[in-house]
Amino acid sequence: MGFFLMVVTIIAILLFIISKKSKIQHIISLSATGLQILIALALTREVMLRGSVNYSFLGGFFYLDSLSIIVLDIVLLIGFMASIFSIGYIETEIRHGVIDSNKLRLYYILMHSFLFTMVFALTVKNMGIMWIAIEATTLASAFLVGFYNNKHSLEAAWKYVIICSVGIAIAMLGITFLHLSSIGVLENAQFLDWVALYNNAESLKSPIVKLAFIFVLVGFGTKAGLAPMHTWLPDAHSQAPSPISALLSGVLLNSAMYGIIRTVAIVNRNLGSSIYTGRLLIVLGLLSMLTAAIFILTQKDYKRLLAYSSIEHMGIIAIAVGIFTPLSIFGALLHIINHSLTKSMLFLATGNILQKYNTKQISKIKGIFKLLPVSGMVFFLGLFAIAGMPPFSIFASEFSIIVSIFSAKKFLVGGAFVILIAIIFAGIAVSLFKMFYVNNQQENLQRGETNIAGTAVIVVLLGIITITGLDIPNGLNDLITQAQSIIIGA
Amino acid sequence: MYCFDILSLLILLSSFALMANKKSKSYIKSFRIQSLLIAIAAGMMGIKTIIEEGRFDVMVVCLLIIILKVIYIPNILNKTYTKAKYQVEKDFILNIPILILVCCGLVVFSYFSLSTIDGINDGMINVQVVNSISVILIGLFFMISRRKAIGQIIGLLVIENGLFVTAMFSTQGMPFIVDIGIFVDMLTAVMILGIMVFKINEEFESINIDKLNKLKG
Repeated sequence: MGFFLMVVTIIAILLFIISKKSKIQHIISLSATGLQILIALALTREVMLRGSVNYSFLGGFFYLDSLSIIVLDIVLLIGFMASIFSIGYIETEIRHGVIDSNKLRLYYILMHSFLFTMVFALTVKNMGIMWIAIEATTLASAFLVGFYNNKHSLEAAWKYVIICSVGIAIAMLGITFLHLSSIGVLENAQFLDWVALYNNAESLKSPIVKLAFIFVLVGFGTKAGLAPMHTWLPDAHSQAPSPISALLSGVLLNSAMYGIIRTVAIVNRNLGSSIYTGRLLIVLGLLSMLTAAIFILTQKDYKRLLAYSSIEHMGIIAIAVGIFTPLSIFGALLHIINHSLTKSMLFLATGNILQKYNTKQISKIKGIFKLLPVSGMVFFLGLFAIAGMPPFSIFASEFSIIVSIFSAKKFLVGGAFVILIAIIFAGIAVSLFKMFYVNNQQENLQRGETNIAGTAVIVVLLGIITITGLDIPNGLNDLITQAQSIIIGA
Repeated sequence: MYCFDILSLLILLSSFALMANKKSKSYIKSFRIQSLLIAIAAGMMGIKTIIEEGRFDVMVVCLLIIILKVIYIPNILNKTYTKAKYQVEKDFILNIPILILVCCGLVVFSYFSLSTIDGINDGMINVQVVNSISVILIGLFFMISRRKAIGQIIGLLVIENGLFVTAMFSTQGMPFIVDIGIFVDMLTAVMILGIMVFKINEEFESINIDKLNKLKG
């Protein structure tokens, strides 16, 4: 069953190569991602019933547990949303002559292989193969970042590939050390197997495990956008086409964070406490929030601002993982979900704004409500949501993280956390709310939404984050609790 | 076991040689030599595992190194280099003696930092691991010391080489499937970066990456 996730994408990519009409390509893309969601639903059910899905085929290569299914479901959900949004977005780009009409095929092939690599990273239990898949995500998305082929996007793409590849190479060194620490403990067939490493974590060699953790943190941290390794992130997010920015921010960062969380679980179990990993994660997390706060306050480009906000939220997740109490892990996992949905909604909304105004400069945009009533409203509410205002879901997860920090008696961290969140909220308000001011001498831009299906998607996402903000569904709650006990090992 | 010590030292020396190179063409040559040395080391390891355990996977990896890193990737890079013609300019930021001194510092650094970690060395310092970690560090330093896009690609490849030898000398090689996956990734990375060099060359009329400075803040 699980293998169909990958088979679907491979078939879709083959069909893209054959098909000629753009309409057919849209249909293929939609049905592939739709089908994947159905498969994911079935898999989620199986995981909830049995705790994990593991086929004996290919040496137990395919593995899913409640931690990976959470991230996987987000990948597929946002993949589906992005592929609906892409139809209108790319059609408009072609109509405006920004891109050539025969680049549609390339776009879809790259987007689906990007999704494929992320699905791959989340469904294997061998850490080495997970690394390969995460490195492949960089390669698959490189040309998507540089899709517009102008100076800025090429610069962003070059930085993206170089920085992420070097970062990921450092993570490989960490995984090599993890492998080294397990020699003599595990058998040949179990090498780098996450489950085996985790079950035998106590007998791994601690000094090497510690060393391995630093490298993995820096390596996957680069990909997750933790400061000071974040420099590729604002460039890539702002230069990519908007549906791809949504995927990068909502999905790719999570996959890297997932790698960190998996390693933290092993290391903490090996050391018997979370002090070592906690310190490193909290420092990096606070540094990320600080960096984000500074750059958000002075930002002039709204897509870059949202990118910095992603850095902030990755920092929040890192801090929550660093605290490592049941409540904080719950908060971290919930925050992963909420951030992905909210941020991808915002990036999709910026797609509509960008295509209407043709500029990324905040100062050149006035009166969004008039020109884009629906996307403008969603964007406006989304800004409140991303800043952590109730009733949206990010409030719930940030609140539980703050409570967990204070109940772990880390008052300094908690204080800094709250202050930084406040500064970032102020920054978003100061910089972005200008866009909603009404300008009487309105330029001759046409009113109304162009991308109807895409606008429907962002409205649906807004609905989801509002409802889950008010009440977490029982099924999701159970799933997160299961994942939390996997990480903490209760 | 001494032959592995010597080989790891030679691999380290080849990265020093790379650092001392002035022209992009000779970077590629040094990279080829380094990969050849790694292939020899992997081949010896392969023969050992065939005799001792009857496994052939290390030998296959050795053959892959020869095909990919010694022959195919340097050829791609040469092609990229000749197609993306640009005027000759000074490529490095510091001068070569200083670069070499910094590299020596990096080796000393990795020697001392690894000597404090027990588990890697059992009583005696594991020279092979020190040398291969130094190769990674020198690769990183090479990337920041050159201005041209080709230099960065080579730096990345040297880092990958260093990772491979670290894995080989410290753990007798990663699991076979992981090695294969790394090769596939590396090959795609080189191809993608090669295409990007063309595009950058077209768009900026240079492959000097100092010109990539538009996105800030």
